[in-house]
Amino acid sequence: MTATMGTPQDTGPVVRGSVPAAGGGQPARSRRSRPLITYGRWWWALPAVLAVLLIHYVATAGGALYAFTNWTGIGDFDFVGLENFRRIFEDPASIGSLENTLFLAFGFLVLTNVVGLLLALALNRTLKTRYLLRVLFFMPVVLSPLAVSYVWKFIFDFNGPLNGVLAWFGAAPRTWLADPTLALWAVLVVMAWQTTGMVMVIYLAGLATVSTEIEEAAALDGASTWQRFRHITLPSIRPSVAIASTLMLIQGLRVFDQVMALTGGGPAGATETLATQVYKETFALSNFGYGAALALLLTVIMLVFSVLQQAATRDRS
Amino acid sequence: MTQHRHRRLRRVGILVAVPALSALTLAACGGGDDGGSGGSGGSGSADSFSFAFENASGGQQNPWQLLADQYAEETGVEIETQGLPPDSYGLSMRTQLQGGSAPDVMMFSPGAGNANAVLPLAEAGYIEELGEESASLIPQGNESLFEIDGKVYAQPTSIIPVGMVWNSSAASEAGVDIPEDQTAMLDACGTLADESKSFLAVAGSAPPNMGLMAMAISATRVYAETPDWNEQRSAGDVTFADSEGWQATLQTIVDMNEAGCFQQGAAGGGFDAITQGLTQGTSLGAFVPGAAATELANASPGLNLQVQPFPAADGGDPFLLASPNYALSINASADEGAKEAAREFLAWMAEPENAARFVELQGGVAITGPDENLSPVYEPVADLLENGDYAPLPNLAWPNPGVYDALSTGVQGLLAGQGDVQSVLESIDQAWDQ
Repeated sequence: MTATMGTPQDTGPVVRGSVPAAGGGQPARSRRSRPLITYGRWWWALPAVLAVLLIHYVATAGGALYAFTNWTGIGDFDFVGLENFRRIFEDPASIGSLENTLFLAFGFLVLTNVVGLLLALALNRTLKTRYLLRVLFFMPVVLSPLAVSYVWKFIFDFNGPLNGVLAWFGAAPRTWLADPTLALWAVLVVMAWQTTGMVMVIYLAGLATVSTEIEEAAALDGASTWQRFRHITLPSIRPSVAIASTLMLIQGLRVFDQVMALTGGGPAGATETLATQVYKETFALSNFGYGAALALLLTVIMLVFSVLQQAATRDRS
Repeated sequence: MTQHRHRRLRRVGILVAVPALSALTLAACGGGDDGGSGGSGGSGSADSFSFAFENASGGQQNPWQLLADQYAEETGVEIETQGLPPDSYGLSMRTQLQGGSAPDVMMFSPGAGNANAVLPLAEAGYIEELGEESASLIPQGNESLFEIDGKVYAQPTSIIPVGMVWNSSAASEAGVDIPEDQTAMLDACGTLADESKSFLAVAGSAPPNMGLMAMAISATRVYAETPDWNEQRSAGDVTFADSEGWQATLQTIVDMNEAGCFQQGAAGGGFDAITQGLTQGTSLGAFVPGAAATELANASPGLNLQVQPFPAADGGDPFLLASPNYALSINASADEGAKEAAREFLAWMAEPENAARFVELQGGVAITGPDENLSPVYEPVADLLENGDYAPLPNLAWPNPGVYDALSTGVQGLLAGQGDVQSVLESIDQAWDQ
């Protein structure tokens, strides 16, 4: 009866194997007497697990081994213990790369999250043009980082539009990407400009879950805009904060494209990051062992900061 | 056998087959270096071989491609060419040599100082030893760039002079003659800056151009007086930091920057600044290899470009850098047939008329020295070349690419106001000792 009275979409009994035989009181001997899911065995996932282990983790671990060698990319090598890591921490260029990486990562994290959240709050409700503006702010995200960087390189050029605009105001032109103090900020601006739209979308998704009734009730109780944001909106979008901040921190730590396209790590290493130095040491200078050590260090840093980030933004409720 | 058992067997079969297939696929992707025969030419016959070279533009007008086409047409030998971007060429060749898929003939840079240098590969056993015919082409004093323990591993193709490429027409228009010495040059810089022109166009954002500038200046400040300076540095008798010549070289760059010798915004300039400056006459000179000057002159009819020696230090004599910057080598693990075909190609390259044809295509100087076919681009330095007043490009003999990188980025920093001469020289010494 259940089957005949059920809707065409009600396939539960079929899947569970409890469908009685049509026209008969005796339940038919089902071909699948158990739910389909019970046929699943853990080892069904074994090929995929093996492939992931081999291609991802074993290969990565194999690469990490080179961090303890003096391999030059060709011929034999010797194990040198922690020598490469000692060199990293004694080399001012590597320390500079580490500092630049952390500056860009945290600058990127703060800038994208603050601006992204402000945009999301502004474009969440009420504004009539919000859909158009959301598209406009999100558009840079879909562009290639290299393409965006080359556009900005033109903007920052000595004879480019930015200096042209400054000239209207009587300001002296600057070599934005060749100035050791300005170049890193220029890279940060380009990174943030392209990615803020993504953060905005994450926060918009979070804001959609905030109950308007509670906000209205708080407003009626006399809570100010800041109090409503601090005590209602922010706790409600905590998962979005965790996702956006973790993603931006990781993306900031591994920045490569924008630096390579805008400055190539220059002038004289002023914008070099760990990722660009890994590339340079490994592929341009053939110091594969040293490059692998830098890569391992970058991986550890990303791992540590990601864990800390997760802990800091965890929902403790 | 029951149906249930069939199903179980099929499941087990799938379970075994999937990882096995994955492993086979991975093995196929990974290739291997124990195959023995190696070369990607793969034909193994004496009438075909593969040939890799740098091709910056990716076009068919590359001199190596044109030469290969001519050889194929003359001899009927089939050549599979592989033109690769210069910035990844060295890495590609290393990877292919280790993976056993490298071409039979490869273009390299002599010595060990560049990412595409031949000697580290020869040392690792990937390069075939060449014969007397190749050895006879090596210019005197350049042997260490092509040989290890007296065995030759690369055949030079032409000599490329490196000085200052000078737009003679633009200089005449500006009323500036090529300065005799540093004081005259700095005076000329001031005059030109007042006219919104510059003595030189440089690509400050491109470290290799900074390195080339420093090396071109070092010709008169270091190598004119001490041609064996690199050997002395290798022996530990001298250092960059203590070298008066290298100090003078970098100080010259600082002085030139302060005197306005470079175009506005030079620290952030790219190679486009050089081509625009030279072709439009807003800059009178630039540091580019002589062969590039020929290419630029050919691309811009009416442009009168010549290679000039960089003005000597006050009281010094003109001196030039010139060396075989490219060489051909044979893959040691190529098939015997391909090796034979490759050797014949190298022998054909060594014939005077073919060497001359290559010089014409590439824009260098004949490997045997300047002759009646010397390009007008090199007329101002013909005497220096004939008298032997030149040294090889220094970085060819440096022990690793990091030394040139330290020089290049250091000079870039000097132009951008970072660091000082002494700290740059010390960082070069550090890179040398790595």
